[in-house]
Amino acid sequence: MQQTHYSFNTNGLKDYFLLQYQITTRKCKDAGVEPIVAYIVAAIAFVGFSMYLFTKTSFAAPVYLLVALSITGKFSDSKRNDFLKLSFGDRKHKTIRLTENFLLVTPFVIFLLAKQQFIPALALIVLAPLLALFNFNTTLSYTLPTPFYKKPFEFAAGFRNTFYLLAGAGVLTGIAIAVGNFNLGVFALLLVFAITLGYYTQPENEYYVWIHALTSRQFLFSKIKTALLHSTYLALPVALALVIVYPQHFIILLLFWLAGCAFLIFIILSKYAAYPDELNMTQAILLCLCISFPPLLLVLLPYLFYRAQNRLSSLLK
Amino acid sequence: MINIRNLSKHYGSHEVLKNISLSFDTGKVYGIVGENGAGKTTLFRCIAGLEEYQGEITAHHTPLKNHLGLLTTEPFFFAKITGAEYIRLLCNARNNPIADIDSKNIFELPLQQYASTYSTGMKKKLAITALLLQGNQYFILDEPFNGVDIQSNIILTEIIHQLKALQKTVIISSHIFSTLSDTCDEIHLLSHGIFTDTVQKDNFALLESKMKAVTIGNKIEKFGLR
Repeated sequence: MQQTHYSFNTNGLKDYFLLQYQITTRKCKDAGVEPIVAYIVAAIAFVGFSMYLFTKTSFAAPVYLLVALSITGKFSDSKRNDFLKLSFGDRKHKTIRLTENFLLVTPFVIFLLAKQQFIPALALIVLAPLLALFNFNTTLSYTLPTPFYKKPFEFAAGFRNTFYLLAGAGVLTGIAIAVGNFNLGVFALLLVFAITLGYYTQPENEYYVWIHALTSRQFLFSKIKTALLHSTYLALPVALALVIVYPQHFIILLLFWLAGCAFLIFIILSKYAAYPDELNMTQAILLCLCISFPPLLLVLLPYLFYRAQNRLSSLLK
Repeated sequence: MINIRNLSKHYGSHEVLKNISLSFDTGKVYGIVGENGAGKTTLFRCIAGLEEYQGEITAHHTPLKNHLGLLTTEPFFFAKITGAEYIRLLCNARNNPIADIDSKNIFELPLQQYASTYSTGMKKKLAITALLLQGNQYFILDEPFNGVDIQSNIILTEIIHQLKALQKTVIISSHIFSTLSDTCDEIHLLSHGIFTDTVQKDNFALLESKMKAVTIGNKIEKFGLR
C-alpha cells in the first residue's frame, strides 16, 4: 500500500517536470519558433552572455552569482509555493524546489568551473538549495516607497520588483570608481537601462490600455515620455558619478546613455507592436540585430511605431 | 444617452448577441439581468469598444469609451501597485488627476497597501472608487454588489442614486434581484443574446415572481432534497 502511494507521488513529480517542459515547448511554438531551435539559440545566448561578461570586467564572478541567484529567487514566490505545497505535500514540494534550483544553476556552475572560478561555483552550489527552502512573500503588508508613485504603473511596480538589482548597479558604480575601472561603470549604467527594459516585456491587461483617453499615437508618445523621464531618475546618479570621476569619457557615456534610451523606446514599441500577444521571436531577433548594429534602430523604430499604432487602434480611438 | 442599433456579435459561428436595439437615457439607471452566458458581459464589452461588432452604438459624449467607467466582474490588479496608485493610474488615464486621494476614500480602504493583497470585496470597492473619481458620464457596473459587505452595499446604493441625480447614465448587471430593484428605473431581461422583456420600476415585483416561476419550476421537487 505504502509502495503504491510512493510510486504515485514519484509519477506526480515526473508529470510536473514534464508539464513544465511542455509549457516551455508550447510557448516556443506560440512564438512561431521550433522548440529545438529556441533551445539551441538560448544555449548559445547564455554562453555568449557569460563570455562577454567575463571579458568585460574582473567583477564578473559576483555579478554572475547575483544573476543566477536572482533567477532562482523568481521560483520562491509564496503563492506559487503555496500551490505546489497544496498539490504535492511538503516533502514533494521541497524535492521539486531543490530540483528546480539545481537545474537552473547547473549551467552557471559549469561555466564557473570552466573559468576555474571554484569559490563562486561552490557558493552557488550551497546557496541555490538554501534558497529553495525559503519562500519570498510577495504580498507583504509593507509597501516599498517608490519615486514613481505619481505616474503608475510600469516604473512603480518595476522599481519594487528590482530595487535590489538597482542597488547592485549602485554598488558596482562605487566599485568602478574605487578601483578605477571605467568599463565596469559603463556596465553598471547599462545594467540600469537593462533593468528598466524588463519593465516593458509583458503585455498588460487590455483594460489598462483601453482606459486611456488618448489616440494610439498619443498613448505611445506618453509611454515613451514617461519611460525616458523615469529611467533618467534611475540612471542619472550612476552617470553623474561617472562623469565627475571620468570627465574625459563624457562623450562615451553620453553615447551609451542615448543607446540605453533608444533601446528603451525599442522595447516599448516592440511590446505594443505585438500587443496583446507577448513579445515574440521576431522581436527578439530584431533586438539582437540592433545590439550588434545600433544604427539599425533608425529604421526599425519608425517601423515599430507604425505597427504599434495599428495594433492599438482598436482599443484607443 | 447611449443608442444601440442592430447590434450583433459572433464568436466564430456562435452568435452571442442577436440584432439588439436599445436606448439608455441620461439620468436613468438600467438593470440587465440574464442567466450566465446570456450575453451580458459581451454586451458591455461591445458598448465599451473592447469588442468588434456589427451594428451601431452611439452616444452623446464621444468617443463613448473616454466617458465610460467600466467595472468588470473581476477587476485585474497589478502586483506591487498600491490602492492609491491604482486610483491615480485610472484618473491620469482620463486626464483628471486627483490631488488628495485620501479625502476621497469613501470605502475607507487601506490605500497605501498593495491592491493585489486586498480581499475580493475591497478590490471591487477600489475599482468603483477609481471609476467614480474619473468623472465619467456613463457607467457600466458588472456585478458591483458581488462580494461587497453590507455596509458598503448601502453606500454603493446611495452612490448610484446620486449618479442618477447628477444626470449620469448607469447600467448595472447583478444576480441579486433586490440590489437592482433598489437602484434601477428599468430592467431588461437578456436571454440567449436577445432582450426578451423590459420592465419598469412599478412592475419589478412581477418580474421577480415571473423569473422565479420560470427558473425554479418544479426543479427543486424533482431534485428531491431530504
